[in-house]
Amino acid sequence: MDIEQKLQAGAEIVKEWTLSSSAPETHRLDMVIAPENLKKAVAAILDSQWGYLSAITGLDHPDYLTDDTGAKKVDPENGNLELLYHFSGGAAVLTLRVTLPYSEAVIDSICDIDLAAQLYEREAAELFGIEFRGSPSTEHLVLPDDWPDGVYPLRKAFTGLKKES
Amino acid sequence: MTTPMVGVIEKVKTWARVNSPWVIHFNSGSCNGCDIEILATLTPRYDVERFGIKLQGSPRHADVLICTGPVTLQARDRLVRVYEQMPEPKFVVAVGSCGISSGVFQGCYNVVGNIGDVIPVNVYVPGCPPRPEAIIYGVVQLLKSLQN
Amino acid sequence: MMGAENKPEKFVVSIGPQHPALKEPGHFEFAVEGEIVTSATARLGFVHRGMEKGTESRTWVQNLYLMERVCGICSAVHAMAYAQGVEKLAKVEIPPRARAIRELVAELERVHSHLLWLGVAAHEGGFDTLFMLSWRDRETVMDLLETITGNRVNYSANVLGGVKIDIDDTKSAAILKGMDFLEQRTKHYMKVVTEDETFLGRTRNIGAMTLEQALRLGSVGPTGRASGVPYDVRVDAPYAAYQDFPVSIVTDTAGDLEARFVVRIKELYETYRVIRELVEHMPAGELTARIPRRIPEGEVISRVEAPRGELLYFLKSNGSDMPERIKVRTPSLCNWGSILATAVGHKLADMPMILAGIDPCFSCNDRMIVVNRGSDQSLWTWEDLRQYGIEYYK
Repeated sequence: MDIEQKLQAGAEIVKEWTLSSSAPETHRLDMVIAPENLKKAVAAILDSQWGYLSAITGLDHPDYLTDDTGAKKVDPENGNLELLYHFSGGAAVLTLRVTLPYSEAVIDSICDIDLAAQLYEREAAELFGIEFRGSPSTEHLVLPDDWPDGVYPLRKAFTGLKKES
Repeated sequence: MTTPMVGVIEKVKTWARVNSPWVIHFNSGSCNGCDIEILATLTPRYDVERFGIKLQGSPRHADVLICTGPVTLQARDRLVRVYEQMPEPKFVVAVGSCGISSGVFQGCYNVVGNIGDVIPVNVYVPGCPPRPEAIIYGVVQLLKSLQN
Repeated sequence: MMGAENKPEKFVVSIGPQHPALKEPGHFEFAVEGEIVTSATARLGFVHRGMEKGTESRTWVQNLYLMERVCGICSAVHAMAYAQGVEKLAKVEIPPRARAIRELVAELERVHSHLLWLGVAAHEGGFDTLFMLSWRDRETVMDLLETITGNRVNYSANVLGGVKIDIDDTKSAAILKGMDFLEQRTKHYMKVVTEDETFLGRTRNIGAMTLEQALRLGSVGPTGRASGVPYDVRVDAPYAAYQDFPVSIVTDTAGDLEARFVVRIKELYETYRVIRELVEHMPAGELTARIPRRIPEGEVISRVEAPRGELLYFLKSNGSDMPERIKVRTPSLCNWGSILATAVGHKLADMPMILAGIDPCFSCNDRMIVVNRGSDQSLWTWEDLRQYGIEYYK
């Protein structure tokens, strides 16, 4: 099966939940999925043995405010978070993309269908501020335990912890 | 004990330490580059044990702490505790550019940056990473300074 | 303290860095009933520096030097994955000689990494002679890397657009000689690993993971291939010069610790072979292609086969001279998941070797273990656990 066929096979598996798709590179296919369907789509890919979950990338798409001088500033309160679930199938990479608003950054955990996903979810949870419903652990994975609540380092609004005196 | 007696005992203790220092290694968040070069000093080509330097596990018996890394926030408290557990006199060798000035991690949010900001440091061995010879040289410089 | 009392209560064995008296975060926790592990979880973060965020305030060129230091053991593949990603965004093709030299450095790195791992894994099992021998032999490849790149670790051979080092006849001769020596030594390691009774006692049928489990968990690299997973990025999605200088995939079916040793050693043979080919048939030409300072907008995924497995970089550009987002997923993160799943049902005494078997970055070198027996708390060091394993199998 060549890459093109492999990608098409992947697209077929998640067809019923796909809102839109794009091909950013020759070996990749990105499918936009609604958050409530994400788990079903993941299960379908894993059950069909198309490939394995390779990584979960988080992206921050903040809104911008314009201040008095006309300069653009990141709005810390409003924006969207995007999760990209990358599946590797040989040379092909299929990515499921879901968007969550800051105000409702919640999505079902996929840990019960993919045991290894726990580490990826926990990382995204603490660095972006996303709640994975049903996650087996909400302990910090990479941030220190005394890291302040509500501070998400990979959001654009974060520019560093205040220096302790 | 009178002061001169204490002085003699101290000199004997130091001499014993200088001749056979017990070294403990702590990684405060490094990329491992320095750590593998430290480990290499134990292996046949460098064979640091012929200098009487012994790498072992417990801070309670250590004379010298070899520390790598830019001190992540997670590691900071632990580093301080390890240092506090060591009996006096104790010495610290910071290995690698990270421990001197954060190296490439300057400004990263989870990093203190300089080992010297967390515990007192006696010897800095710069490099990214420094070669095993440089690390051994750094430790030997420390021992020589103790002899005086 | 080291008695294997087979009480039915649960023990929580935390494997965390340094101080035993404080149950700190930054550890692996195994719940143990009697001798058997019943569950496992991980708390990392000891080496979390905040690099991904750091990339967003550094230029594309500065980031090359930062990403090299994600890991000092596999620094070249990180730099390569990153550079490849940037070149894809910029739609720049690098010259054939550059690709070949990239592959050469990456494969030499694989040699150093596998030999390093062999020594460390042997040490975890109490086989210190093998540790000393393999690390002594490893100095051969360290010398070669230093001769070619100028440094033993963190080589900085890659630049955006190609490489900044070259090889000539003298260096080629040294490389070929080094490969001959190492191949002969590697045959000896293979004998030890597959024939030494004591060694086999610690590795055969221990830590087994079936192909099904490995596929489901997304186990990558030699760990996955030891269970029969037929993936190797160099073969499935060739990059650098792997199209012209290919490697064969090495797999096993046993999926146990012994298989993980065998796979890595066999990979070394393949690596020696391809290094010889690269040196003997190095394409002529330029070392770099021009890369603009501002990288065009876009998102790319760059994957390479690090010594530990698939390394994935996701790069997003907003059209400026600084990245919008760089995401790094290291192979060890994939394989921790395998450990958490396969540790269950195994003996406590097998934990040191099982952990070492996935070839983790051993940044938590001095690890402490807390054993909770009901209301008492016994304090073990990693050294104790290691010794426990050695004693258990005597």
